[in-house]
Amino acid sequence: MEALRIGVGICGLGAVVALAVQAARASAFGIRPLHAPAAGSATRGVLYAFGPGMSPLAKESTRTHPWAYALGVAYHLGVFAAFGYLLLLLLGVDVAPTAALGVPLLAGALGGLGLFVRRYASAPLRGLSVPDDAIANLLTTGFVALAAARLRSPAAEPALLAAAMLLLCYVPLGKIRHCVFFFLSRRHLGRHFGRRGTFPVRH
Amino acid sequence: MSEIDALEARLAALTDEDLSRGLDLFRAKLGGAEAAYLQTCVRCGLCADACHYHRTDGELASIPAHKLAQVAAVFRAHYTAAGRLAPGLTGARRFDRDMVRAWVDAVFGRCSLCGRCSLNCTTGIHISAVLRAARGTLTEMGLIPPDLLQVVATSLETGNNMGISREDWLETVQWIEEEMQQDVGDPAARIPVDKQGARVLFTVNPREPKFFPLCLQASATVFHAAGEDWTVASEGWDLTNYGLFSASPAHGGAIAANLMASMDRLGCGTLVIGECGHGFAAARWEAAEWLQKRPGFRIVSFLELMEEYFQQGRLHVDPAKITERATLHDPCNTVRHGGIVEPQRAILRRCLADFVEMTPNRAENFCCGGGGGQLSMSRYRQKRLQSGGVKAEQIRRTGARLVVAPCHNCIDQLMELNREYKLGVVIKTVAEVVAEALVRTTAPSREESHVPDAR
Ligand code: SF4
Ligand code: SF4
Repeated sequence: MEALRIGVGICGLGAVVALAVQAARASAFGIRPLHAPAAGSATRGVLYAFGPGMSPLAKESTRTHPWAYALGVAYHLGVFAAFGYLLLLLLGVDVAPTAALGVPLLAGALGGLGLFVRRYASAPLRGLSVPDDAIANLLTTGFVALAAARLRSPAAEPALLAAAMLLLCYVPLGKIRHCVFFFLSRRHLGRHFGRRGTFPVRH
Repeated sequence: MSEIDALEARLAALTDEDLSRGLDLFRAKLGGAEAAYLQTCVRCGLCADACHYHRTDGELASIPAHKLAQVAAVFRAHYTAAGRLAPGLTGARRFDRDMVRAWVDAVFGRCSLCGRCSLNCTTGIHISAVLRAARGTLTEMGLIPPDLLQVVATSLETGNNMGISREDWLETVQWIEEEMQQDVGDPAARIPVDKQGARVLFTVNPREPKFFPLCLQASATVFHAAGEDWTVASEGWDLTNYGLFSASPAHGGAIAANLMASMDRLGCGTLVIGECGHGFAAARWEAAEWLQKRPGFRIVSFLELMEEYFQQGRLHVDPAKITERATLHDPCNTVRHGGIVEPQRAILRRCLADFVEMTPNRAENFCCGGGGGQLSMSRYRQKRLQSGGVKAEQIRRTGARLVVAPCHNCIDQLMELNREYKLGVVIKTVAEVVAEALVRTTAPSREESHVPDAR
């Protein structure tokens, strides 16, 4: 078990370093100085992009797809809960089964499964998909589900640690790197539309 | 050789050197923002219905994420380790002939660069900025539809995108001035030309002198009624800039330099961009970046200026003069990309008895389908008209008989949609509505006008 824990630590460190390198390489493409005087505020744009702009009501795409949005939120909550739980386990803190952890983990696993079904049941989404979509979903959903299982039974811990290692090794390779790039993109988007006065969007 | 064949011939003749040069051009267009955008998509597909192309053709290739994926595939293959090691895993693809063809279809054939997808992306990708970078790359590789390039070339050669001669322009201005004098009943009403040191330089879309002189007359009437100290230029008067659509900073910068030169020559304080979405976005936002220089004067949309006149009490209108139901089209480059959202609404609420909004509106409004240079790319005409079906339906649902559109490209497309979808509407600019609703068209004296002399 100790070896598995060390393995998770090494994979986690590797993932963090790889993501940091990818983010640095993207930033190295450079920031162009802007010359046109701003009409609005870049800062307000960024605050909007990370604040009200994330609300399901802020965008037509999420307003009109409440189920996809809800599945996504549940999935991400589950992922955050699973990583938090994993960290506690690595630090030797065993948490008693509790609804505060069990519910998000279960919701996350179901959310991941729901998104998997949604992707492959829809022809346009299948058309957009590449193998990375299936692998990323299965690794993540499996990891969250195993975290839920470990909460009920310590016997699931080796499987959880193995799943965590696989997932962490995969993170820099595929779309899961959006865990970093999401923040970079949203910040750029917020700055751009904030300067122009388009953000905050008025409805 | 037809326009269509000319592009096909260039595509077929691409050499490995061309592709390698294209990749260098693409690389040069990427900043940190684009590099981040190109690595963020999770292929959730929620942007699909944001795009008027996908809404009307239902094709996979019209989903914004699919268009983005064509560009991201090349980025991954050439600039990421994962894309080089396992291209099949993430859909990485090298920049080859097939990929170039896919880019042409995605960024010229199925995109008006309207930016609606960018506001709807769940992860915050500015999709249209990425598609614009791809467009610029293709343009610089010589892979731009020839009719779009021709508009740029005409601007560069003649100083305006319709090749109107100086004499014709000045003659047109003169007879519009005479028409206006009769219309407002004031023989002193003027359209000043090359007035040195005027407070405002007003710039015009060449479609006005060529096809829609009443629009220019309406703008002149508004200036007259507001008692503005204004002028048009004898040269460097065209506000359009198809460099925005070719996405080439060299094109955009060279065309924008005409307006900047007019401002320098005449020493005006404010550059006013007439009612034209892309012209505004080009002059207000992009010109400074193309020219790498902050302008030394204010650049405003005529919409902003008209609203200022209202707020200063310089214009007086009677909404009872226009009673038919009216709605407003939001040009993407004025509103989403330009940030001018409320002035046009405030103006129309003053001038119209029955003003209704389209749904959706403001930054969420749909492109009419004529943006992004689509009107000048004949090979995509059918797709353009089909994609305009979303706008036609938006208009129909308002029940309006009058559509106000502060953009001449949009007006051209709306006129075609009017015929194609049998909408039975009349289309006007905001200035035309204001001029029609004015209750006093004689310039106020300086004492009357509460406005300090700006000179
Ligand atoms: S909404 Fe954004 S993240 Fe989702 S598929 Fe479209 S581009 Fe990709
Ligand atoms: S910019 Fe507009 S036309 Fe282009 S993909 Fe996005 S929504 Fe569609």
